[in-house]
Amino acid sequence: MSSRGGKQKKGNVTSEQEEEEQPLQAVLVADSFNRRFFPISKDQPRALLPLGNVAMIDYTLEFLTSTGVQETFVFCCWMSNKIKDHLLKSKWCRPTSPNVVHIITSDLYRSLGDVLRDVDAKNLVRNDFILVYGDVVSNIDVSQALQEHRHRRKVDKNISVMTMVFKESSPGHKTRCEEDDVIVAMDSKSKRVLHYQKTQGLKKLQFPMNIFQHGSDEFEIRHDLLDCHISICSPQVAELFTDNFDYQTRNDFVRGILVNEEILGNQIHLYVTQDGYGARVSNLQMYDSVSLDMVRRWVYPLTPEANFTDQQGQGCTHSRHNVYRGAEVSLGHGSQMEENVLIGRDTSIGANCHISNSVIGNNCTIGDNVVLDRAHMWNNVHVSSNVEIHQSVVCDGAVVKEAVRLNKQCVLAYNVVIGPNLSLPEGTVVSMHHPEEEEEDDDDEFLSDDQEVGHSKDKTRQKAFNPAEVGPEGKGYIWKASMNDTEDEELAQCLWGLVLNPDPESDSESEASEESQDRSRSVSPEIDDVNAFQLEVLGTLQRGLEENIVCDNLVLEINSLKYAYNITLKEVMQILTRVVLEYPFQQQGTQLTTLQYTGSLLPLLKTWSPVFKNYIKRAQDHLDCLSAVEELFLEQDTHQTAMVKVLMKMYQLEILEEEAILKWFSTGATNDKSRQLRKNQGLQKFIQWLKEAEDESSEEGE
Amino acid sequence: MPGADKETDLTERIEAFLADLKRGGSGTGPLRGSGEMARETTYLLRRITAQARWSSAGDLMEIIRNEGRRMTAAQPSETTVGNMVRRVLKIIREEYARSRGSSEETEQQESLHKLLTAGELSEENFRQHFVHLKANVIEAINELLTELDGTTDNIAMQALEHIHSNEVIMTVGRSRTVEAFLKDAARKRKFHVIVAECAPFCQGHEMATGLSKVGIETTVIADAAIFAVMSRVNKVIIGTQTVLANGGLRAVNGTHSVALAARHHSTPLIICAPMFKLSPQFPNEEDTFHKFVSPHEVLPFTAGEILSKVNVHCPVFDYVPPELITLFISNIGGNAPSYIYRLMSELYHPEDHKL
Repeated sequence: MSSRGGKQKKGNVTSEQEEEEQPLQAVLVADSFNRRFFPISKDQPRALLPLGNVAMIDYTLEFLTSTGVQETFVFCCWMSNKIKDHLLKSKWCRPTSPNVVHIITSDLYRSLGDVLRDVDAKNLVRNDFILVYGDVVSNIDVSQALQEHRHRRKVDKNISVMTMVFKESSPGHKTRCEEDDVIVAMDSKSKRVLHYQKTQGLKKLQFPMNIFQHGSDEFEIRHDLLDCHISICSPQVAELFTDNFDYQTRNDFVRGILVNEEILGNQIHLYVTQDGYGARVSNLQMYDSVSLDMVRRWVYPLTPEANFTDQQGQGCTHSRHNVYRGAEVSLGHGSQMEENVLIGRDTSIGANCHISNSVIGNNCTIGDNVVLDRAHMWNNVHVSSNVEIHQSVVCDGAVVKEAVRLNKQCVLAYNVVIGPNLSLPEGTVVSMHHPEEEEEDDDDEFLSDDQEVGHSKDKTRQKAFNPAEVGPEGKGYIWKASMNDTEDEELAQCLWGLVLNPDPESDSESEASEESQDRSRSVSPEIDDVNAFQLEVLGTLQRGLEENIVCDNLVLEINSLKYAYNITLKEVMQILTRVVLEYPFQQQGTQLTTLQYTGSLLPLLKTWSPVFKNYIKRAQDHLDCLSAVEELFLEQDTHQTAMVKVLMKMYQLEILEEEAILKWFSTGATNDKSRQLRKNQGLQKFIQWLKEAEDESSEEGE
Repeated sequence: MPGADKETDLTERIEAFLADLKRGGSGTGPLRGSGEMARETTYLLRRITAQARWSSAGDLMEIIRNEGRRMTAAQPSETTVGNMVRRVLKIIREEYARSRGSSEETEQQESLHKLLTAGELSEENFRQHFVHLKANVIEAINELLTELDGTTDNIAMQALEHIHSNEVIMTVGRSRTVEAFLKDAARKRKFHVIVAECAPFCQGHEMATGLSKVGIETTVIADAAIFAVMSRVNKVIIGTQTVLANGGLRAVNGTHSVALAARHHSTPLIICAPMFKLSPQFPNEEDTFHKFVSPHEVLPFTAGEILSKVNVHCPVFDYVPPELITLFISNIGGNAPSYIYRLMSELYHPEDHKL
C-alpha cells in the first residue's frame, strides 16, 4: 500500500501495457559523435560534463526514470570507462533503483545509426522505446506522447514508427539551438510529419507540393518548435537502421522515412508540448542557456536543491533571487550574489565580489574583487583577486591568476593556468592539449584513452607555453578547432554555436564542422542526386562516343546509374533527352549557330537512337520525352527553329510516334511561352505534314 | 532468506516514496492532497515498524528519525510528512512509557528544573526491551490512521455551526477540506460562494466546478477583484497547506491578499485545517519555507525573446501572519491562533520538533 505513490505516476503507462506486460525501455546514447565540445570533451565525455554541478547524463536518467522507464540501455563509446564508473557509483545502479540501467560499450560506434544497428543486432528492445541522447535535460511528461504513439500503432498496424517530441517556443528564444532549427510541415489532425527540414543557413525553403495533396485538408507549417531530441520509437526503427546502412543520424532517418513513405508505408509523427522543458546541450551556447534555465527553475523539479542524484553532501539551499548555496560555503564581506547563482559545497568567496547568473562548482576558491557574470566554473577552480569573467566556461582544476579578464565565450579547459595580468580576447579557448595533436588523432579518435594521454604528455614536453597567449605564469595552448585552415571564428562556432557569426554565408563553405556537411546534403537530396546523375550520364555518353561502345552497353550502364542515384524512369528519360540535346553545346561551346547545332546533333541522335528506344516505350514516355525537348528549347530560345528538325529526326528514327507528337502539340501547352513555341512556323508545318501523313497511312491501311 | 527479502522490499518502497516526493508537485503544488500524503507516510512508517530490525524503542525511534529526515529533505515544503513522522515518534514514546508502567504525564511535563538536570537521559531510557511493544505501537499507528481517515468528515460536520442561510462565503483556490465543508453545509442551508481563481495555477476553477455540481450558487472572480468583492462577503473560509507553530499559515499563493482584504473589511477569516497540517516549523526558517516552481505558468516558455531579458519567479506559497486569522477549524474543534502552541505540545514531543 505504502508505495502506491511510487506506482501512481506510472499508472497510466502500465495500464496501457497490461496486455503486453512489457517494461518501458529506453535507449540512451551517451555520446555525441561529434567534436563540438573539443577540447573539453577530450578529457571528459560530454555526458559527464557538469550542468549545475550535476553530470548531464544524470538529468537524462532522471527524466527517463520519472517518465516510468524501467529499463535503460546506455550506449557509450568515447571514454566509455569514465561513463561506466560514473554510472556504477550513481544511484541508478543501486539495487533499489526502479530503472535498471545496462551499460553497453563499444569503440566501434561512430554514429547514432551504429548504436541502433547494434540494438537491433542484440535484439535489446521488445517494444516501443524512448530514444534520447545523454545530454538532454528535460522534465517533459512523455506519457501522453507515449499513449498517442501506442494508440496510433494499434489503430493502423505498425505504420507509425516514430514520435518526435517537440516543445513549442517561438523563434528568437535563447534556448533554441540555431543549428537544430527545423521547419516542419504536418497534418494538423493526425500530427503526421509531412516534411522536415533543418533551416540553418537556408534563406529559401521548398516544400514539395505532393505532400499537401493527400491526407486531411488541414496542414500546419511550423517554425516555432524546439527539438527536444526525445523520440519514441517502435522496435522497427532499429530494424530500419539495419536495413539502411547509410542512416547515420536521426535526421537521415527522418528524411529517409519521409522520402520512402509511399514505398515502405512508414510514418513519423510529432508530439508538441507546451508544458515542461526539454533541450539538448549540443554546444556551449546551449550549455550556457540550459544551465541558466536550470538555475531559473524552468526544469522544476530537477532543481539544484532537489539533489535528485541522492549524492551525499550535494544538497544546497535555495533562497531569494534563485541563489543556491551548498554546504560550507563562505562568502566574504561585501560580496554580492545578485541573482541566479549556484555555489557548490566547500567553496569560498572573497570580499567585494559581484556574482550574477553563474554556476560555481565544489571546492573552488575565489579571491577578492572578482566579477563573475554568466561564468560556469566547475570543480576545484582557483580564481585570484581582481579577476573578471564574462560568459565563459572554466573547467575542473583551472587556475586564473590575478587581474585576468576573460571576455565573452572564453573556455579554459582542464588544469589550465592563465595570467597574471592578461585579458583574453573574445572566444579564446585554452587547453592543455596542443592543437597539433589534433591532426594526428584525427584518425584514431576513438582509440583508448591511455594512448592519448601518453601522447599528450609527449607533446606537452616538447612544446613550450607561449607567455603572450596565456600570461607569464600560464600553462596551456590556444586551441584551434582543426588545422585545416579554419579560423578562430569557426572554432567559436564549433564550441559556442552560431551566435558569434550569424552570417550564414561565412560558414556555409566550411567543411570543418560535421553540421555544415549535413546541411548541404539536407538542402534537397533529390536535386543533388539528379544533378550527379546527369553528369554521369553525360560522361557515359561521351565515353560511348569516344570508345565506340555498343548502345546496349550504354543502356546497361545508365540503368545501373539509375539505381545508384535512385532516379525514377521518368527522370532518366528527361535527363537523357536533355543531355543528348545539350551535347553539342557541351562539346563545342554555347556560341553555336542553329545550323551548326543541328548539324552536329542529328548524327548523334542517329547513333543513340537505340538508347532512346530502350527507354521510350509507353505513350506516357513519349510525352515525357517531348516535354523534355520542349523545356530545353524554351531555355535555348535562339535555337527554337532547330526543334522541328530534332523532332523530325526523332520521328524518322522512330524514337517518337506521330500520335504522341500530335497529342503533345494539341494538349501540352500550359503557359504563354510554350504556346508561343507552338506558333513557330516550322513546327506548324511539321505538324501539318504529320497529320497528312497519318491520314494517308490510315487510308492506305484501309 | 525471507528476512533479507523483506528488507529489500522495504527499502525499495522507501526509495519509491522518496523519489515520488521529489518529483511530486510538478507545478501546481502537491499532486495529491496532503491528507493522502499523511496516510501514505503513516502506512510506510507502520511498515517500517513491522519489518525493520529493532529490539528496543530507542532503535526504532532512531530508524524512524533517520527515514523521516530523508523524507522531509526530499520535499521540504511537504510538511505533512514530517508531522506524521513526529506523531509516530510520539506514539512510540507513549507506548514505551506505558509498557514501563510510568505515566506519560511525567514524561510530558518539562519543568525548568528537569531541563537542567536531565542531561542525556532520554535516549538511555528507551533501551529496555518489551515483547509487546511492537504490537502496541502498530495498534496505536492504526488508531492514528483511523483518525486520519475521519479528519475531513470531522471538519465538515462542524459546517452548520459556521455557515448560516443566505450568507456570502469567499474562498480561494481549491482545498479538499473546504470543499467538503461547504458541500456539507449546502445539504441544509442555502448560501452563495465566491471563489477567487487563484492565479497562476487557477485551481479556483476546479473548486467552482465541484461546488456548482452539488447545486451551490458559485461565482468565480479574478484575484484582482478580491478587495472589491470583500465588502459583500460575510465570511472567508479557506484551506491551508501548513499551520505554522506561531499560528500563521503557509497557504497557496494569493491567500495573504485575501487575508489582508478580510482584515480591512473586518470579515472573519476561518481556516479549515486538519490537525496533521500543524507543523512545529516557524516562518523564519527561510530555506525550507518557500517553494518556487517552474515559471512556465507566469510567463510561458513560448514567450520567446523576452525570457532572456527578465527573471521570472513563480512562488507557490504565501505566509499569512496569525494576526489576520480569526479561527481554525480542525477535526478536534475550533481554536484561535493563539491556542496553537498548546495543540502543538499535545501532538508532538518537544524533543522531536527537530528531526
